[in-house]
Amino acid sequence: MHRVDQLNWRLLLQRVIILCLAGGLLLYAAWPWLPGRRGPAVRTIVLYGFSILGEMMNGAVFPEFQAEWEARTGERVELVSAFSASGTVTNQMILGVPAEVAILSLELDALRLVEAGIVPGPLWRDLPHGGVLNRTPFIILVRPGNPRAIEDFADLARPGVGVVHPDPLTSGGAQWALLAEYHSVRMLGGTDAEAYAQLEAIWHNVVAQAASARAVRTQFESGFGDALITYEQEVLSDRWRGRLEGEIVYPQSTIFSEHIVVILDRNIAPEQRELIDAFVEFLWSETAQRIYVDYGFRSVDEHLNAANPDFGLIPFPFTVDELGGWPQAKREIVDGIWRNQVLPEVGR
Amino acid sequence: MNPFNPVPPERTSRFRRGPGRPRRQADSGTARPGATSRLPLALLLAVLLPLLLMPLASIFVFAGRDGLRGFLQTLAQPDAQFALRFSLLIAFATALFNGILGTFAAYVLSKYRFRGRETLNVVVNLPVAIPTVVVGTSLLLLWGPIGLLGQFLDPLGIQPMFAPAGVLLAHLFVTFPYMLGAVKPVLDELEVTYEEAAYTIGANRWQTFFFIILPALRGGLFSGLLLTFAHSLGEFGATVMVSGNLRLRTQTAPLYIFAQFEAGNIEAANAVAAVLALLSFAIFMLLQRFTQQRSTRGS
Repeated sequence: MHRVDQLNWRLLLQRVIILCLAGGLLLYAAWPWLPGRRGPAVRTIVLYGFSILGEMMNGAVFPEFQAEWEARTGERVELVSAFSASGTVTNQMILGVPAEVAILSLELDALRLVEAGIVPGPLWRDLPHGGVLNRTPFIILVRPGNPRAIEDFADLARPGVGVVHPDPLTSGGAQWALLAEYHSVRMLGGTDAEAYAQLEAIWHNVVAQAASARAVRTQFESGFGDALITYEQEVLSDRWRGRLEGEIVYPQSTIFSEHIVVILDRNIAPEQRELIDAFVEFLWSETAQRIYVDYGFRSVDEHLNAANPDFGLIPFPFTVDELGGWPQAKREIVDGIWRNQVLPEVGR
Repeated sequence: MNPFNPVPPERTSRFRRGPGRPRRQADSGTARPGATSRLPLALLLAVLLPLLLMPLASIFVFAGRDGLRGFLQTLAQPDAQFALRFSLLIAFATALFNGILGTFAAYVLSKYRFRGRETLNVVVNLPVAIPTVVVGTSLLLLWGPIGLLGQFLDPLGIQPMFAPAGVLLAHLFVTFPYMLGAVKPVLDELEVTYEEAAYTIGANRWQTFFFIILPALRGGLFSGLLLTFAHSLGEFGATVMVSGNLRLRTQTAPLYIFAQFEAGNIEAANAVAAVLALLSFAIFMLLQRFTQQRSTRGS
């Protein structure tokens, strides 16, 4: 009888401890939502963006806007955000996530929103700079010391060079890269045939592909290939963090990617309108544009770019406008040339 | 025995017995004595080390890199705190809902005889077999703004997907079988004589359930709740589809880990990963201890 009593005491103690722990955990979890703990409801801006924006938006751009808005109106607003691959974000919006503002890595994704009826038309073109928030050129990243002596896209076409490339079927960055590989030849005075020959030769050299610009980065870092085609911004931000293993090669001619701001009117309640408009306007303010430059993006205000000494010189840059805009470039180059001619040729 | 039962009580307790006295006794009975009998164990450990132990250890090695202060600072960031709290709340809610629903389902499936019982038995256990991403997709295709039901709810301003409700729905779906798997075997093996005795002294069904069956189920309920809680805490596949992954609104801890990792903030991802790992360890230990205790008391 005595033994049983002892056992029960231990059991009871154990139970009390477990209950206390569970209760503590619940209290911790529910703490911010407990009555009395919650401040007055705070208005929010729901922003979806492509992946490389996350840190800059949460860490610098929004806090700046928050302070400005509070100074102007006395109201504190919060940012609710999600960052993922541009195509993924677009698909999420088509499925109905409550995004109020979106920043996409290429206009093609924005046009898909129009096609799906999420946005009534290409209204972003009425925004400042045609909806283009900032830019970044496509560059070549090579191994430290540049052992293969790669100086331009043409060198990637040499036999035996291993190129790591994001997959154009899924990655927005890869589509920009395709345009750069092809059109840079014509920018430097080459013919269509020469441009085609370079694109095909580069694709013969592709040794590894991954779904996104970020994933392909990981492949390159783990030792695949001699060269990687990627955003300048990504490489610069790695260099500042001391993580860069490799060297940037600036091509003579390359494309500047243009990142598009889309406002999703159907998700914006009437009382939110003023706040959203103020935020979008802020995105093109000099304050915000300076932040982009600090984070390695090129501002749409050319004169601000001088503030970043790390930006390399590109003698013959171009944008997708020179190819007739994204729909035409997609039709003629990505689909017409790369998918229908180069891919069958290299047998992928 | 329910084939889907994730933790058959007897099996786990034997499995967990560890390096204590009882195991050595058992070994000497079956294995050959001497140095040769150590070889298989050494081999097993050599395989397990890179397969299980080293990956888990690396989380903590990385977490400790910037020292405890750095670790706590990373963890104290508002979005990390939100993700942890949100995950815990969802896990508590999931355990509560499925605790009740799963017990009820187990009771009906165990005590009532009806046509299609076997089919229903398979159906309720289905979530164990379905890939969680498929669960997420199917929820979107039902409740999402373009979904079968969602397209009628959307104009009314009801949007369960991409909101906390959607996350809860996904977790309820994915973890449904765990409660059932823990409770139903106990119910199946429960002797009917006690129930019958209760009926003979005039108890109705509800009274019998509350005073006879429920107390006998305590063990199953407890392990079922723990399993549900643990699985909800770690759920990723379905959540990533339905949550919209909104920081400070619908981002659970696993989604936070993934998003931070993708953004290259390995420290932030790792700090939350370490906390999740610790919590799961704690839950698992509790479960092991508990099932062990029960089986020793039972024998």
